[in-house]
Amino acid sequence: MDWKPVALSTAPLDQSWYEASARARLAGLLDADTFEEFIGPAQRMMSPHLPLFELPRAFDDGMIVGRGRLDGRDVLVAAQEGRFMGGAFGEIHGAKLVGLLRAALAVKPAALLILFDTGGVRLQEANAGETAIAEIMRAIAVTRAAGIPVIGLIGGRAGCYGGGGLIAGTCAHLVISEGGRLSVSGPEVIETNRGAEEFDSRDRALVWRTMGGKHRRLIGAADAFVDDTIGAFRAAALAAIPTAPTFDLASLEAEQARLEARLARFGDAQDATEIWGRLGVNDPAAVPGLTTEAFDTLLDSLPERPHHAR
Amino acid sequence: MDWHQERTAREARLERARPHADGKIVPAARVVDLLEAILQPGDRVCLEGDNQKQADCLARGLSACDPSRVHDLHMVQSGIVLPEHLDIFEQGIARRLDYSYSGPQGGRIARMLYGGQIELGAVHTYLELFARYFVDLTPNVALIAGVSADRDGNLYTGPNTEDTPTVVEATAFKNGVVVAQVNEVVDRVPRVDIPGDRIDFVVEADRPFYVEPLFTRDPAAVTETQILMAMMAIKGIYAEYGIRRLNHGIGFGTAAIELLLPTYAERLGLKGRIATHWALNPHPSLIPAIESGWVKQIHCFGSEVGMDRYIRARPDVFFTGSDGSLRSNRAFCQTAGLYACDLFIGSTLQIDLQGHSSTVTTNRVAGFGGAPNMGSDPHGRRHPSDTWMKAGREAGGTGDPALRRGRKLVVQLVETFGDKLVPTFVERLDALELARKLDLELAPVMVYADDVTHIVTEEGIANLLLCRTLDEREQAIRGVAGYTDVGRGRDHAEVERLRARGVIRRPEDLGIEPLDADRSLLAARSIKDLVHWSGGLYEPPAKFRNW
Repeated sequence: MDWKPVALSTAPLDQSWYEASARARLAGLLDADTFEEFIGPAQRMMSPHLPLFELPRAFDDGMIVGRGRLDGRDVLVAAQEGRFMGGAFGEIHGAKLVGLLRAALAVKPAALLILFDTGGVRLQEANAGETAIAEIMRAIAVTRAAGIPVIGLIGGRAGCYGGGGLIAGTCAHLVISEGGRLSVSGPEVIETNRGAEEFDSRDRALVWRTMGGKHRRLIGAADAFVDDTIGAFRAAALAAIPTAPTFDLASLEAEQARLEARLARFGDAQDATEIWGRLGVNDPAAVPGLTTEAFDTLLDSLPERPHHAR
Repeated sequence: MDWHQERTAREARLERARPHADGKIVPAARVVDLLEAILQPGDRVCLEGDNQKQADCLARGLSACDPSRVHDLHMVQSGIVLPEHLDIFEQGIARRLDYSYSGPQGGRIARMLYGGQIELGAVHTYLELFARYFVDLTPNVALIAGVSADRDGNLYTGPNTEDTPTVVEATAFKNGVVVAQVNEVVDRVPRVDIPGDRIDFVVEADRPFYVEPLFTRDPAAVTETQILMAMMAIKGIYAEYGIRRLNHGIGFGTAAIELLLPTYAERLGLKGRIATHWALNPHPSLIPAIESGWVKQIHCFGSEVGMDRYIRARPDVFFTGSDGSLRSNRAFCQTAGLYACDLFIGSTLQIDLQGHSSTVTTNRVAGFGGAPNMGSDPHGRRHPSDTWMKAGREAGGTGDPALRRGRKLVVQLVETFGDKLVPTFVERLDALELARKLDLELAPVMVYADDVTHIVTEEGIANLLLCRTLDEREQAIRGVAGYTDVGRGRDHAEVERLRARGVIRRPEDLGIEPLDADRSLLAARSIKDLVHWSGGLYEPPAKFRNW
């Protein structure tokens, strides 16, 4: 087998998405020097709640929103900084995304991109955070109904959990990498509530097999699986814009039917590899080790393509 | 005069044990019977446990023995790693202990020492304990582990040979009894690591012996502070002294150095000039450097979980047997690290104002592992190298230069604050408090001050070779101790004088911009990257896989 060692390249597009900060991801994702931030750190729009807990705040509250160009097209972007409080949603953090989504109706960008990197709602401001999640989902529905595709990119250290997982479910298109994880309850939450026999959060292979990018792609929860580079996410985001599905009653009903069928077909499976086997993967145990290229070949060879209605 | 008392005693032990064996082969279910037949109260016993491979089936057997029949044993083994290693002291099966390393059991061993449940001989360095096996701590019984054996007892230890040859040598040739647990009994072993006439009984274990992946450091957890320290070590020490022959500790700082060789060090033009010959376990984090052609050869103390296929495919680099798999040997590799390496670099938990260091804290007695042997200046060394001679010149001295010996470089690579923001630099080592409480004559010091040549922290490098007085030495250490109490207690004027003399060097003095210390410098940023570098040959254990 011909393996390519990791790129020792210093080119911005070759850098790891997983490793990069939210700002570095935006800088690499968008056309060079086109990013223009709204409510940037200089404005000091910070959490009003964290000082009550004597916790440090961030000048941008871990959410960076703004506009830029993607291959010349105007887009709006929001990026979560997973290294600040695990990218968790608080009042300001959430409000910035709600505001961006509402602005989209006036700006009419080619797409709105959300760079997820979140563990969910910030416990210290849970009510505001939960409200923000609801407002964001409603705003995404309105934005999509207006014909603007909302595209989610998932490949950060914190994954996309809790309310972030719910929001991702309302996006028109999701791009995910191997390191990316997408779920609602996180591994530790499941283990705490149901015990290590149900889900051993320290078994990292189990975590990624159940919540990681490949599994999400195989069952149709994500629409594209990409290498962990900023360039790969950029290419996938570009490809998604013209193909993003419309948002109407018919597409919602189709999505509901798809999810019901999925539950009926796989609901009794004990492990992700069982699901992959039922999907026609000959050697499920080998899937985690596949390169992106080999994984794409596998997807093409399956009797049925992962079907995603959205 | 009877000159054969030991041999007669050995024959009696074998005679008692024979009913439980079929030739040399003993089923796992009969282990307790076997051990109760062989062992006598007060025996010196080596229950093979080193820092990786564990004779765990025999350990469980020993701990299931009847304390009224088997008691007051004197355990002489390098590693206290499994719970059973300490259970036997609670049960009264064992009473006295001489050992080297107790990483995972460090907390419990401290409690038992305080509680008086263990009568402690000494905490040794590896070579020191091995040496005493041949002088005054010769085992009566050795309980060892191997991968497979044939019915004659010929033993294949597999890649984790580690302590086995040394333990068997001391026991078998001095009238002792050797029991080996193996994963399987085979018709023909892949290679003979221990000849069958040194093995008395072979126990077919109920499950494969346990090996701890102790030397795997996930590149994903390497921090930018560690990268900065690694850059300083490479530019300020490796390059300046031209260090080719070396040993690395197991911390994340040294893993960062390994991961910077094909990137940062390559850009400095150091390939072939540094880090070519190693006494080192097969660290997965060294794979990118090996694949990039940096490494000429590596001799290993033991193996590392998941590295077997990779090692088999790189026999030019590693020592391998006729069967293709790694041959390691802790005693030889420790000797290599002591006498044939010009640098040891490792980490520690506490450093005092003179530079003494210890991994012992008041509630953990972790022991030493390999560091004290390799982290000491060997006075038995007689061959020169540019590195050794340069360090010797820096240390100064008087008289004919041809009569001045060189110096081994012993480098402590530490962050000023360790885990949970506990300061690494202290006025007084916890080891002294432990020695006082336990009434030990000798405090458990890992590396003595007079052996340490450099301390590297995120604040800079202190070159202790260049210090001429104890006062200078103390200020040099305070001068890199950051915001710890020790660091804040520095004499600023003296520290600046030391800096002007090059005793202390900051990143900027080395031409290093701290903001350049970025994870993108790492040749691998995840375990998966290491797998890719190895061409798919490295097979990391499940706990390190996130795919």
